[in-house]
Amino acid sequence: MKVRKAVITAAGKNQRSLPLQTLIDSDGIQKSALRIIVEEALSAGVEAICVVVSPGDEESYREAAGDLRNWLHFVEQPAPKGYANAIACAREFTAHEPFLHLVGDHLYWSAGPTRCARQLTETAAAESCTVSAVQATRESMLPYYGTVGGRRVAGKPRLYLIENVIEKPTPTEAEQRLLVPGLRSGHYLCFFGMHVLTPAVMNLLEDGSSLSSALAMLAGKERCLAAEIEGLRYDIGVKYGLLTAQLALALGGKDREGVLAHLVELLASRELSQAGVAGRGEEGQ
Amino acid sequence: MTRDLKGGVSGTSTLVGIVTASDPAVRNQSLDAFCRSSSVPALLAECQSLELFRKQCDNLYQRVRALFFLYAIHRFHLPGKLSHFRGPLIPFDGYAHLLKRRFEEAIRTFLETQASGGPSEGLSSALATAYHDLGFQTLADQVRRSVRSVRGNQWMFRIGHPADHPLRIRRELLPDGRVGQTSAGQDRILREQTPVRMDLSHSGWSDIFFLGMDFPEGARVLNVSIDLCVLGRDPSPLPPVEAYLRVIDEPVLKLASVDLGASATVESLGEVFDFAKDYLGLLKAALIASGIVPPGIEGAGQSLEELLSRVVAPGYGLELVSNVHSIPKGSRLAVSTSLLASLIAVCMRATGQASSLSGPLNEEERRLVAARAILGEWLAGSGGGWQDSGGLWPGIKLIQGALAEEGDPEFGISRGRLLPNHTIFRHDRVPAEVRESLQKSLVLVHGGMAQNVGPILEMVTEKYLLRSEAEWAARLQAGGILDKILECLQAGDIQALGAATTQNFYGPIQAIIPWADNLYTQTLIGRARQEFGRDFWGFWMLGGMSGGGMGFIFAPGRKAEAQERLAKLMQEAKKKLSGALPFAMDPVVYDFGINETGTCAQLLEGEQALLPQGYYVMMMPSVMRVEQQSLGRQRRRELGRLGSACRTRPEMSGLVSALFDRLLPGAVAGGSDTQHLAAFLQEYGFDATHHEQIRADLRSGRIGLAQNRLPTNSIIEDPAAEDVLDATAPLERELFQHGVASLARGEVAVVTLAAGAGSRWTQGTGVVKALHPFCKLTGRHRTFLETHLAKSRRINSKYGAELPHVITTSYLTHRPIQEYLAYEGNYRYQAPLLLSPGRSVGLRLVPTARDLRFLWEEMPQQLLDEQAQKMRASLRTALVRWALSSGEGSDYTDNTPLQCLHPVGHWYEIPNLFKNGVLQKLFALRPRLKHLMIHNIDTVGADVDPALLGAHLANASCLTFEVITRRIEDRGGGLARVGGRLRMVEGLALPREEDEFRLSYYSSNTSWVDVDQLLLAFGLTRSDLADEARVADAIRTVSARMPTYVTLKDVKKRWGYGQEDVYPVTQFEKLWGDMTAMPELKCAFLLVPRFRGQQLKDQAQLDGWLRDGSAEFVESISEFDPD
Repeated sequence: MKVRKAVITAAGKNQRSLPLQTLIDSDGIQKSALRIIVEEALSAGVEAICVVVSPGDEESYREAAGDLRNWLHFVEQPAPKGYANAIACAREFTAHEPFLHLVGDHLYWSAGPTRCARQLTETAAAESCTVSAVQATRESMLPYYGTVGGRRVAGKPRLYLIENVIEKPTPTEAEQRLLVPGLRSGHYLCFFGMHVLTPAVMNLLEDGSSLSSALAMLAGKERCLAAEIEGLRYDIGVKYGLLTAQLALALGGKDREGVLAHLVELLASRELSQAGVAGRGEEGQ
Repeated sequence: MTRDLKGGVSGTSTLVGIVTASDPAVRNQSLDAFCRSSSVPALLAECQSLELFRKQCDNLYQRVRALFFLYAIHRFHLPGKLSHFRGPLIPFDGYAHLLKRRFEEAIRTFLETQASGGPSEGLSSALATAYHDLGFQTLADQVRRSVRSVRGNQWMFRIGHPADHPLRIRRELLPDGRVGQTSAGQDRILREQTPVRMDLSHSGWSDIFFLGMDFPEGARVLNVSIDLCVLGRDPSPLPPVEAYLRVIDEPVLKLASVDLGASATVESLGEVFDFAKDYLGLLKAALIASGIVPPGIEGAGQSLEELLSRVVAPGYGLELVSNVHSIPKGSRLAVSTSLLASLIAVCMRATGQASSLSGPLNEEERRLVAARAILGEWLAGSGGGWQDSGGLWPGIKLIQGALAEEGDPEFGISRGRLLPNHTIFRHDRVPAEVRESLQKSLVLVHGGMAQNVGPILEMVTEKYLLRSEAEWAARLQAGGILDKILECLQAGDIQALGAATTQNFYGPIQAIIPWADNLYTQTLIGRARQEFGRDFWGFWMLGGMSGGGMGFIFAPGRKAEAQERLAKLMQEAKKKLSGALPFAMDPVVYDFGINETGTCAQLLEGEQALLPQGYYVMMMPSVMRVEQQSLGRQRRRELGRLGSACRTRPEMSGLVSALFDRLLPGAVAGGSDTQHLAAFLQEYGFDATHHEQIRADLRSGRIGLAQNRLPTNSIIEDPAAEDVLDATAPLERELFQHGVASLARGEVAVVTLAAGAGSRWTQGTGVVKALHPFCKLTGRHRTFLETHLAKSRRINSKYGAELPHVITTSYLTHRPIQEYLAYEGNYRYQAPLLLSPGRSVGLRLVPTARDLRFLWEEMPQQLLDEQAQKMRASLRTALVRWALSSGEGSDYTDNTPLQCLHPVGHWYEIPNLFKNGVLQKLFALRPRLKHLMIHNIDTVGADVDPALLGAHLANASCLTFEVITRRIEDRGGGLARVGGRLRMVEGLALPREEDEFRLSYYSSNTSWVDVDQLLLAFGLTRSDLADEARVADAIRTVSARMPTYVTLKDVKKRWGYGQEDVYPVTQFEKLWGDMTAMPELKCAFLLVPRFRGQQLKDQAQLDGWLRDGSAEFVESISEFDPD
């Protein structure tokens, strides 16, 4: 199964401006978050990318993509009908082909030489089915993610056959339906913000529903897998999310030494100046 | 049958074979049948095999069954086959292990003693207790493990920090302004309404968790969800249980129980886990079991505010309110489990753990709530059966135990699963018209008795696990009756259904637990039958025992009439028996309707967003004290809504008047109780000077629990064998003949001490123990008094005597006994029957914190299991707070007058005979009277045995005391040589706890008294008895020589609607046994068989008493009036 297309959703009510934020990538170059995501997609071997935006956002996004703008197709989500609907807006673009889907508010760091999206598309190509990237996540984070229940695929250590998907489950629900043998206690497979989807999913995405419920249905119809990616995701939409992502990019890139030195200096000078204040206080007594 | 045990032990053990058999015919064999014909060595050998087996067996239920077999052999079979005379004593170390729940160590210690010194009755009693408690501990641990390991419950035990909390309140419940929605200021309240359940079949107690897990095939109940109202008070049946939850604009938990009139603001996590601090334990348990405050966070030192900020929103909190529509406690309708389930359901919905915020729950959610309710009950230290949360489900359903399967946490451990399966009967199976017929025929009542059914549940468990023959057969028969009830229900034949429930009550239920029935219930059934004849279709027992919630089935045309009549019949019967049986409230008749929805929630919005009226009655006084501008915005909006609701909503129309009653309680209540108390004190000869002296001594520490004890350097020794005359074997013929002759000469009278209120018997309720119909003997319920008279009647007819019988009474018992005897025509006792009214009364005092601490910290205490221990610690802190705030040593007056007074000990009851003229009367009736046999009301095996009388005559003592060999439960002193003098010594007076364990003999409190010698000891002669002043003076002199013991008694305080609290209060007493310490008195001691000397102090003893042959013995020495 060859994955030639990618869909990036960026029309969410609270995430419209997130992909436009500027960061220094691990290669030391200043880029918008969108561009970093587009690079992630291109690294996976896709040939065309569709960005789903809110009406009127196309121009700023095009600009944020910089020299990669030519790879992009834009589709507007006419009304804020939710995440699943946003993906469905790209139906014409994907045109009955499997596609890579990325969310517009996540950045990734790969633990190995192969980028995260690439790991995913390679798995999908090998398995010829829908594959969702997942990460073992503590149950305290369940309120934020779609979560997968299933069992390991024999002989393939990081692959799981999806049996159930629930969007933001309660821990009770998770324990009853989403336990995956072999994971640490209190850990579940939560979405990584990255999927390779077969075209059948487009028929299951309804207004107001979630990608999770569509995937749960899809798993009832065809083989769907979850793949644990060797890497980390950074949600830039949460508190300090952008800062954490920036630090992660910097510490994983060529400027690592310099950034570390800055951090140590920052900490040391703060601590020293505080100690100095305290010391002067004592002297004065 | 042989079985190789792991560890290489190989042996032939029939009992191990029974325990391990896979063939049900072998596995379900009874232990009793085997033991009856076995010799002592054979039984001891079986015990050894069972002991080895149970230590090495992995299967939980086989292990438990082996433990119960061991218990039963030591409790019921070995003692009867052992000689009563001496044998190794119970080692104190083993007892100390038992108290600390170190059962294995205790068993080892007892077995070592048995190995070195041989078996003895005392050792067997100790082993029986240890095996019994270890058996229950093992079962309880397993239930807990299962509750924790149910999927969906486990995560709560992992969460130890608010930052890890995975639950979030549903956005719909947050005030709109906060989440940026449109109509700012909108408040919402989530309300859960839950029916209660009634058990249409009576399950034969098969819904006890342990039993469902042991024999799931036999665990079946027909459970109906019902709405309820009290007839004549409420307009129509409603779901009786409600839970409310709302988000509040303060970072705290506000809890309110409208039914118990209690509320609290909880600001720390520690308080949430402090269950017994107030009456809000159930609400706290619900918060924990629903995962809002996960059990894993207990003791983690985290902040409640932080947790609420995570789960609700920063700066916000939750208010949880419970409301029961005045259904009294003890209704046998599982009200408290239903309420807990309702509270848990509302909390789970609010945190997204149920898919829908309103409407009914789906099957999976109901099962989860039921599992959480079990968890909550475990946390709060209570426990019900698995059908008790049946109200979550709609309509009529069959609940069945389920076999554990692979993947279940119980698999491989127990045969059954913790949670049963529910099959809801649709209308095609039980049509609407049948449901209606049931409602038209059944009269549901609460008879007013509130009893602790805990011991009954233990008894049933034990009998089922032992596969005791009669009980096992009854259990199987109950299963057949359930099938019959099912058929009747499907066929719509309510009359046959009534016949089946009646058959169940008189058949299996009473075969399993004879105590399920009582005189009150019998009276009601008898009257219903008499008045309604063929239109009375049947009786139906609900729950653990009858007397509380009950059902009477009538022809539909006569239901209304029957409701009215039953209300009157119950009142009349209660009036007659109120002294004899523990009534907690006035009887009520209910109206009910089958609830076809099960638990159901509504989101109350806008003008509807109000809590129940009772909440406002309770909370408004404190709200009104707050300056208007200081009230939060949310509260102000709510008051606005409340104002308009009072004007427009009929159910809120009574609020204003109820509020006035609450604000000005004095105007309504008056001070009648205090006036009554003063009158009582005056009437019963209260000695105010003595009372003030006691108070001063108590406050100054001159008297107290610690001061009861003899000096620590006292020498306490076990008497030598020759110090007692062994009367457990037949005595010489000559003694018997002397006794018979003395009887014939009219030299003897019986004195029954009946001044007490049987506080242990009823756990502090206070009934007249003498009048308590404690047991069925020769086919009918018999009171203690009737039983004693029946024994004297037999002696009279057998030996040609006419024993005068004296019953000593007190302020508490005199009038009820007098009236009851008049009503019963003295049970047609032909010889003189005299009452000896008490002349002394004490007023109870609030205890000192010092005595409370001494009781709880210095005296050996039974350690409870972990959760119950936490509850107890929390309760004790609350009680010390109560004592300090009420004033240590101040008069205890906050209860009904009779509960504030106390009898001052049985010592006074004997000199009273001199004082109140009864002894003179006896002399007039029987001029040759020389001896009295004095016994406690609860020593039911004591009669005027001529041989024992002969022994008393032969030793020519003033006092001959009867003793029995000590068993582990015999606490409270015994026969000892104290400083060289052989005497009875009270447990309170022993300097060290272990002293008691060195004493072989325990007092039966039966004594034979030579009247003239006794008078002499008081410095009196027969002729002095007419001289009141002289008698009073003599009594005062001897009284001053008797030690005064300070004791703490548990007293029940009733309040609300059938609710009860127990308070420890201080009282003092002087005890008859201390007479043996007077050096000038000649005393002798007789060792008698346990059947004769056993005292029945606790209702939990009854079952064993019935099974070990004691009851048969009493029947054999009684001659009940044939009418």
